[in-house]
Amino acid sequence: MLTTLLLLPFAGALAVLLIPANYRVILRLVALITTAVTALQAISVFSAMQPGISGFQLVEQAAWIPSAGFNYHVGVDGLNIGLTLLTSLVAFAAVCISWDIEKQTKLYYLCLLLITGGAMGAFLSLDLFFLYFFNEVALVPTFLMMGIWGRGEQKFYATYQMALYLTLGAMLALVGLAMLYSASGANTLDVVTLSAWLGQHPLSASSQRLLFPLFLFGFGTLVGLWPFHSWAAPGYAAAPPATAMLHAGVLKKVGLYALIRVALPLMPDGVRTWMPVLAVLCLGNILYCGWLALRQRDLALLLGNSSLAHMGFCFLGLASVSVTGITGVVVILVAHGLLAAANYALLGHVVRATGTSSLDKLGGLLRPMPVVGFFVVLAFMAGCGMPGFANFPGELGVLFGAWDRLPLVVIFAAWGGLLIGGVYMLRAIRSLLHGPVRAGLESASDAGSGIALYWRSLPYAVLLVPLIFFGISPDTLVRRIEPAVIPIVKSASASTPPTVDSKTPSLTSISPR
Amino acid sequence: MELVVTNAVASVGPAYSSRPEDIGWFILALPLFASLAIALFLHRNRTLTLFFSVGGVVAAFLLSWVLFFTFGVTGLKAVPSPFPWFHAGGLNVNLGLAVDGLSTVMLLVVTGVSALVQFYSTAYMRDDRGFARFFASLSFFTFSMLGIVLSDNLVMMFVFWELVGFSSYLLIGFWFEREAAADAAKKAFLTNRLGDFGFLLGIILVWSLTGNVQFDELAAKLKADPNALGVWSSVVGLLIFCGAMGKSAQFPLHVWLPDAMEGPTPVSALIHAATMVAAGVYLLCRAFFLFQATTAWPAALAFLGSISALDIIAVIGGGTALLAALIAIQQNDIKRILAYSTLSQLGYMVMAVGVGGPDAAMYHLTTHAGFKALLFLGAGSVIHACHHEQDIWKMGGLGRKLPVTFRTFVIGTAALAGFPLFTSGFYSKDAILVASVRHGHPILFGLGVLIASMTTFYMVRLVIVAFLGRSRSSSAEHAHESPIQMTWPLVVLAIPSIGLAWLPLGQYLTEHFFGSRVAVEEGGLFGPFNHAPLAATFGTGAIIFGAWAAIATYWNAESDPLPRSLAFWSRVLRNRFYFDEIYEALFIPIQDGLAAVCGWVDRWVMSGLLVRGVHGTTELAGRALRMVQTGNLQTYTFLFVGGVALIILIAL
Repeated sequence: MLTTLLLLPFAGALAVLLIPANYRVILRLVALITTAVTALQAISVFSAMQPGISGFQLVEQAAWIPSAGFNYHVGVDGLNIGLTLLTSLVAFAAVCISWDIEKQTKLYYLCLLLITGGAMGAFLSLDLFFLYFFNEVALVPTFLMMGIWGRGEQKFYATYQMALYLTLGAMLALVGLAMLYSASGANTLDVVTLSAWLGQHPLSASSQRLLFPLFLFGFGTLVGLWPFHSWAAPGYAAAPPATAMLHAGVLKKVGLYALIRVALPLMPDGVRTWMPVLAVLCLGNILYCGWLALRQRDLALLLGNSSLAHMGFCFLGLASVSVTGITGVVVILVAHGLLAAANYALLGHVVRATGTSSLDKLGGLLRPMPVVGFFVVLAFMAGCGMPGFANFPGELGVLFGAWDRLPLVVIFAAWGGLLIGGVYMLRAIRSLLHGPVRAGLESASDAGSGIALYWRSLPYAVLLVPLIFFGISPDTLVRRIEPAVIPIVKSASASTPPTVDSKTPSLTSISPR
Repeated sequence: MELVVTNAVASVGPAYSSRPEDIGWFILALPLFASLAIALFLHRNRTLTLFFSVGGVVAAFLLSWVLFFTFGVTGLKAVPSPFPWFHAGGLNVNLGLAVDGLSTVMLLVVTGVSALVQFYSTAYMRDDRGFARFFASLSFFTFSMLGIVLSDNLVMMFVFWELVGFSSYLLIGFWFEREAAADAAKKAFLTNRLGDFGFLLGIILVWSLTGNVQFDELAAKLKADPNALGVWSSVVGLLIFCGAMGKSAQFPLHVWLPDAMEGPTPVSALIHAATMVAAGVYLLCRAFFLFQATTAWPAALAFLGSISALDIIAVIGGGTALLAALIAIQQNDIKRILAYSTLSQLGYMVMAVGVGGPDAAMYHLTTHAGFKALLFLGAGSVIHACHHEQDIWKMGGLGRKLPVTFRTFVIGTAALAGFPLFTSGFYSKDAILVASVRHGHPILFGLGVLIASMTTFYMVRLVIVAFLGRSRSSSAEHAHESPIQMTWPLVVLAIPSIGLAWLPLGQYLTEHFFGSRVAVEEGGLFGPFNHAPLAATFGTGAIIFGAWAAIATYWNAESDPLPRSLAFWSRVLRNRFYFDEIYEALFIPIQDGLAAVCGWVDRWVMSGLLVRGVHGTTELAGRALRMVQTGNLQTYTFLFVGGVALIILIAL
């Protein structure tokens, strides 16, 4: 079942490769059908997975290089089940909004399907070698797409910067993985075997302290951890909408996913040493990037910085090392993925319809484009933590979970999420949609009318409807996630005498004595 | 009986059985369904839009009566049927309904006023191109507000709290093309967010101290151990109050409410009189048990000593009431006068909670909802008749031209002023004055009397200037009574403005909060004069004085004499004590200043740090990586394979 899910996008890519480049409609249809079938498969995987049970399900494995311990091993648990669903939905929406691509159509869809397959593989693989490999498979076409179909004068510089940061980040992580491989002595990078092995023979505290930052900053850079964030906003602004959707929505999540999957449970001493550092850095994302978003007069840069601010909540959740907090993080991963994709899809429409993303040149768009405007309001409200969208329960879990350890950080984070987030999102709506219509924009095209309306609205609906569904019923995700998080938190806080997430928490950490 | 009911449900187990308390879910779902149906499918069809929107809220209103008689009147305990919402680690949140004496009364208020406002809007909004959008937003607002009323835990309350903020944003900014309306919507949302920030921290703190967010379980816990919140009890109280401060527009977060008058007038009647702004007071009443915990402060705030959170709340409420009443005296826009009057009355209710009388606060909330909605809708009728003229000095003589509006408006004014014996406002205001005397707050009692007098003054001023005398503009000259769809809701609302005086609502609420009738003696028309003659007499005296002063000043006046006689103070009042200017000068530069600093650092220090670093140190790596931009797949693959080779090399 999972192998099918993993191979579908690659099969689609192969098909695209074989179709002549001038059969544009066929190419589009192949991409559309591939991603639609992938999405259906992901949904059936999601429903096939039993909630409330810990451990991997639907596991499939095969030996590959037994001597080196590299094996094909896929499975789902609470951490990646939501992410596979996310990947397939975003991919489908990305194909939908790419209908008008005329330039090098074949290469475009090939890249798009490779990114999808790569991301899917990274999330499904339980062997870290494959996780890393698939992540790289997805990254290369990402840069290609930015270079060829990107926009703006800064396109090449932004691509270059993004490639540099991401490659260096990935290299750090690779060094970390290699050192983990040799230091553990387990002769494998298979998550299951490795955790069992390290449970018996833990790494020495000093090597954990050395290894942990490699993972933290390596994978952290992939997510835009402050101060390694400056690639993100300009990068996404320069990327074509579909690429920004797939990277900001899906691929970026690999970094956080790997941190939770690998760094936390395998290196408790590293966690203890480095989490206080992360607790400070996450405020860099939440406050600093929030304020940056406040400064932006370009919608693309505003959304990029806002997305970084959301990642800050994920880092705060990690730093809390609590079941509530990390469950919240996994919810955010899914929610933010859907939201970021929706944001960039909508941005793409605005740019296509008006020719600019500068807020100074836009205004009053709700009148000419009520349908797109409606989706924009929904997405921006989700972006400032409005309940009813899945981001809210995620951030709530993080704030609650982090309170006992990091009350001060939680206060700042709540300020950033509620106030700073509120201000820049409302300013954006005010400048973009409200007020009198700017001259020249009176007939900016909306999502279309008649049947076209439904077709053009489909990508936004595909992203926002699940976002709202998980917002109303986060339990659908949470009861799948929590059983996977409990053992991770347990191993991450191993050898710490008091439990981390007790039911009756003490207030010793915040009482002023 | 409680035990029996619990056992019955426990034995039923997971199998579903229909129970009357589940009607609450229908009440909640009806307006939501209407809103979604209109937004997604029906927006082109006005008839169906109206059918769903009005039908939904009327059905909810009728079902609310069922709940009121089943649970409110009988005192039967409802058993919530919770849906799991977020269970992870120590955080357990369910979606469940609180159906009890408090929420059923509030349900009636919310659905009742919503229904009338919707009927009224069918005529008021007839020519607006956003007709369907208006009703969809209105229904969504009703849904969110009902959610607040029915929430049985703090987190769910917060969820709907935010949704109310969002839907009021949609409604205030309904005419989004107007700059003022768009700005007012943004301001309302953000000011509310400021309060929600404190509210959220309060919820987290309560959870971290008790491991619980459920109202009934928290109440039981605090009853068993009033020290359960430890040194944080008063801080918790104040943080929760922050939420109320935003929604109920208490000083210093009051600035959004007057600006929110930019929304259509029916919206003002609904959200700025009866529902949203009442939510804060409702929260204080719902969570009143939190304020009954032992007063204690953490070491840093120990200097506050025995001052309790409630004392602070009472002072803020009283202060807001006074401030707003003063400002109302010198406003000329009919809606702004009512807006400041609402602020003032909300302050009154908050003060009532602060002096330990949540029953009096809820009583006043209920009566106020009726007569303030009446006044706003009356104002809407006036504005409609005068072609969107809102300055009372450009009206005059409307009494003869708009007879129904005039008569109902006078009834509303009498109720707001608290005209003795016949109006509901008299009894609820009296309950607040009595509570402040009873619980030993003579200064607040004096303040309450003073405000009652000022209230009468500015309302009588409004009635005299707008409705009596001669017409002072052509639009007032040619005004006609509004259509029947707009006048009959006024008549219907006039009924509770008088009729609630004869119902034992005060005793009912006292019983809900304190379990017995100890606090209130006999009801009846002359009840107030018998059991608390001091309060009733002072209250009546205040009204007579206020009315006399207004008549003496404004009878046959052509313009406002006060600006001349009060000079400086009049200017201060007209400019609303310059709060907006002060906030604009203080807070916005700080936030924007921090943002500017970050922007500078990012531009000159952070941006491309790595890029420049790599360029400066290892040109080689830079070159290798720059190949990426040429789209040269082979080179990159080569490097990658090299990396893989490296890992295998290390492994072997």
